Amino acid sequence: MPVNASSGTIRRSTILAFLGPSVVTLLVIGIGPLLYAVWTSLHYFNLTKLKKVKFIGMENYASVLTDSVFWEALGRTFLLLVISLPIQLAIGLGIALLLHQPGVGFLKTLTRLSLVLPMATTYAVVGLLGQVMFNLKYGVVNQLIGFVGFDPVNWIGDPTNAFIAITFWDIWQWTPFVALVLLAGLTTVPSEIEEAAKLETKRWFTVLRYVQLPFLIPALTAVLILRTADTLKLFDMVFTMTRGGPGSSTELISLMIQRVGFRSFDQGLASAQAIILLIITIILSQLYIRLLYKEV
Amino acid sequence: MKLNPTLRSLLVAGTCWLGVIGTAGAWTLEEAAKPYAGTTVDVVFLLRPGYEAAEAMLPEFEEKTGIKINIIKHPYENALGEQVRDFVANGDLDIALIDLVWIGNFAENDWLLPISEFTSNPELADPDLDIDDFFPLVLNAFGGWNGEVYGLPFDNYSGLLFYNECMLKDAGFDGPPGTWSELKDTYGPALTKDGKYAFALQSKRNETQSADSFARVLWPFGGSFLDDDFKSNLMSAESQAGLKFRQDLMQYMPEGIVAYDHAEAVNALAQGDVAMLTEWSAFYSTLKSPDTSKVADCLKIAPEPSGPAGRKPALGGFSLAVAAQADEKERAASWLFIQWVTSKANALEYLERGGVPARQSVYEQDGVAEKYDFVPALVESWQDGVPEFRPRFAEWPEITEIVQEWGSKIMLGEVSTEEGAEELGKRMEAVLEEAGYYSGEKPLAQ
Repeated sequence: MPVNASSGTIRRSTILAFLGPSVVTLLVIGIGPLLYAVWTSLHYFNLTKLKKVKFIGMENYASVLTDSVFWEALGRTFLLLVISLPIQLAIGLGIALLLHQPGVGFLKTLTRLSLVLPMATTYAVVGLLGQVMFNLKYGVVNQLIGFVGFDPVNWIGDPTNAFIAITFWDIWQWTPFVALVLLAGLTTVPSEIEEAAKLETKRWFTVLRYVQLPFLIPALTAVLILRTADTLKLFDMVFTMTRGGPGSSTELISLMIQRVGFRSFDQGLASAQAIILLIITIILSQLYIRLLYKEV
Repeated sequence: MKLNPTLRSLLVAGTCWLGVIGTAGAWTLEEAAKPYAGTTVDVVFLLRPGYEAAEAMLPEFEEKTGIKINIIKHPYENALGEQVRDFVANGDLDIALIDLVWIGNFAENDWLLPISEFTSNPELADPDLDIDDFFPLVLNAFGGWNGEVYGLPFDNYSGLLFYNECMLKDAGFDGPPGTWSELKDTYGPALTKDGKYAFALQSKRNETQSADSFARVLWPFGGSFLDDDFKSNLMSAESQAGLKFRQDLMQYMPEGIVAYDHAEAVNALAQGDVAMLTEWSAFYSTLKSPDTSKVADCLKIAPEPSGPAGRKPALGGFSLAVAAQADEKERAASWLFIQWVTSKANALEYLERGGVPARQSVYEQDGVAEKYDFVPALVESWQDGVPEFRPRFAEWPEITEIVQEWGSKIMLGEVSTEEGAEELGKRMEAVLEEAGYYSGEKPLAQ
C-alpha cells in the first residue's frame, strides 16, 4: 500500500481510490434518486399529464400535511410499530436467552437455522401465504382455531381483524431476526463476568438487567433502528395480503405512497409524502441513538 | 361519446372500397405480412380466459405471417401502471391494451394511433374488416375517443346475473329476480340461510369497488357520478338510493364482501356458497366448466336485474390499439395482429376457446345462442348500455382511487352514504377542477 515515507500516513490518492467507487455508487443509486425525488416533490408531476409539469414550490408538502388520509395512514403505521416491535423484542429476547443457555448443541443449531426461514421468505410471498392461510372459509388459521372450539374469524374482510392479521404476520416474520441479533449481542458478554454473576445470584432477571443488558444495548439500538425503518416502509407483505383494505384499515404509509404515485400517477405528491416519511425516519433513528447510547 | 358520423361513414366507405379492391387483388394476410416477417410485437395480456383463448390461437397467426407476438402477462391491477410507465419511458410495447376507462387517458397523451392510419392503407387493411359488425356501443365505448377510433374491441364483457338454478328452485323460485328490489326483498331472505348467501357483490378496494360495486348500484337507480355540468351527482336522491340499497343488500352477502375480488366472488358461486352473482360475461367459462365449478350443471344466466331507471348493466372489457411509440414495421405488424385477432372470421373460434368477441355476426350464427347460455343476455345488454358507466376521461385513474377509498368506507359503515358521497364528490371535483373542466380548458367529455 503506497505510504508517505516521511510521515507514515496513507496517501490521499490511495484513500480516494478505495473509497471513490463506493461513494460514486452511493451517489448514483442512493443520493441521485433522492435528489430527483426532492425535485419532483416541488413540481406538479403526474405521469399521465407530462405536458402539464410545472414548479409549484411547497404546494405538494402543504397538501400532504393537511390531508387527513396521510395522517391516518401514518397513525396506522405507528400503531403497527408500537404493537409489533415490543412483542418482537420480548419474544426475540426470550428465544435469544434460551439459545444462549449451554448444552443441547444440535437442537440449538437446528433452531438457529429454522429462525432464518421466515426472514429468508420474500415479503410478497409471506403476504400471499397470509391471504390463503387467513381465508375465512378455507384458511388453515380458522381450521386450527376451530379445533379448540372457536368459530371461524373473518380475518381479511373485517377492518380490525385484518390489522391484527398483518400485525401477527409481521411479528412472525421478524421476531427471528430480533432473536438472532440479540443472540449475537449475548455472545459479546464475557463468559467470566456472566459466570461470576450467576454465582452471585440465582435470579436470571438480575443477570439480564445488570450484566447482559448493557452489552445488548448496541444490538438493541440496531434492532430498533432497523425494525422501525422496516415497519415505516413495510409494503410488499401488506399489499399482497390485504392491498390496504378492507377500506383503509391496513393502508400503511408506504401503501398510500405507492397508491398515489403509481395508481393515481401523481409522482409529485407521492415524492413529497416519501420525503416527509424519510425525515420522520431520520428523526426517530437519531432519537434512538441519543436515548439508548446515553445509558452505555 | 358517439363516433363522429362523418368519420364513421368514411370508415365504412373505405372498408367497402377495400372490399372491392380486395376481391380483385385477393388480399391475404400472408401477402400483407410478408414485409414484416421476423418483426416482434410486444403486447400486454391479462390473466383471464379471453387472453388464454387468444394465446391459443396465436401459432396460426405466427405461422401465416412470420410475425412474433411477445405476450407480457399482468394481472389486471398492474396492467395500467405497467403500460403507463412503458409509454412514458418510450419503451417496448407496440400494442396498447385499453380498458374502457383508460382510453381518454391514452388518447390525450398521444400514446395511440387512430385506426384510420391503417384502414386507409390497402396493403394493410383486410377487406373483410367490416367495422360495422362490431356492436356499436362496444366499439364506441372501448375503441373511440373524441370522434376518433383508436382500438378494436377485444374480450369485452357485459355484467350478467349468474345464478344457481338448483338453489333457487329449492327455495321455491322458478326463475331469477327481474329487479334489484326483488333480489333484495324476496330472494335475499329466502336464500340466506345455513351458511349460504343469496348474493355476492364483489367489492374489493381496487377497480372492482369502483366498477363492479359502486357504479353497479348507481346507474340502475338513476344515479351517476357526474351531472351535466361535471359536478358531483352523488348527493342526488337517485345516487343515494342506489348507495343505500347496497348497504341494505349487504345482509344477504357473505361476511367480508369488501375483501372479495372477482376470483373470490366467482369461487363463492362455483362452490355453491352463494346463489347469485353479478359478474362479467368473461367468467362464463370458469363457472360453466366442471373442472372449476361445482355448480356447472345448475348454472344459469340472465341479464342484470333492473332498477327504477332500467337495467343499465355494467360494461367492461378492452380494446387493442397500435401504440404510437412503435416503429413503422412494428406498427404495421401490430395492426395486422389486432385486425386478425378481432376479425369476423376468427370470432367463433375465439368464442369457443373462452373469449368474448364483440362481433354481432358471431352471435347470429345458428346454434351459438343455444350452446353458450350467456349469449342472449349479453346481446341484450349490449343494445342499451351506458358508455360512461365509468367516466372514460383521462382523470379516471385519480378518481377511481377516491371512489375505491370512500366507497369501501361507506360499505364498512365507517361513514354514512351521505358523508361518503359528500367527501367523494368534493375530492372528485377538485381533480376535475385541476384538470381544467370548470375553466373551460377541457370539454366536458366522458
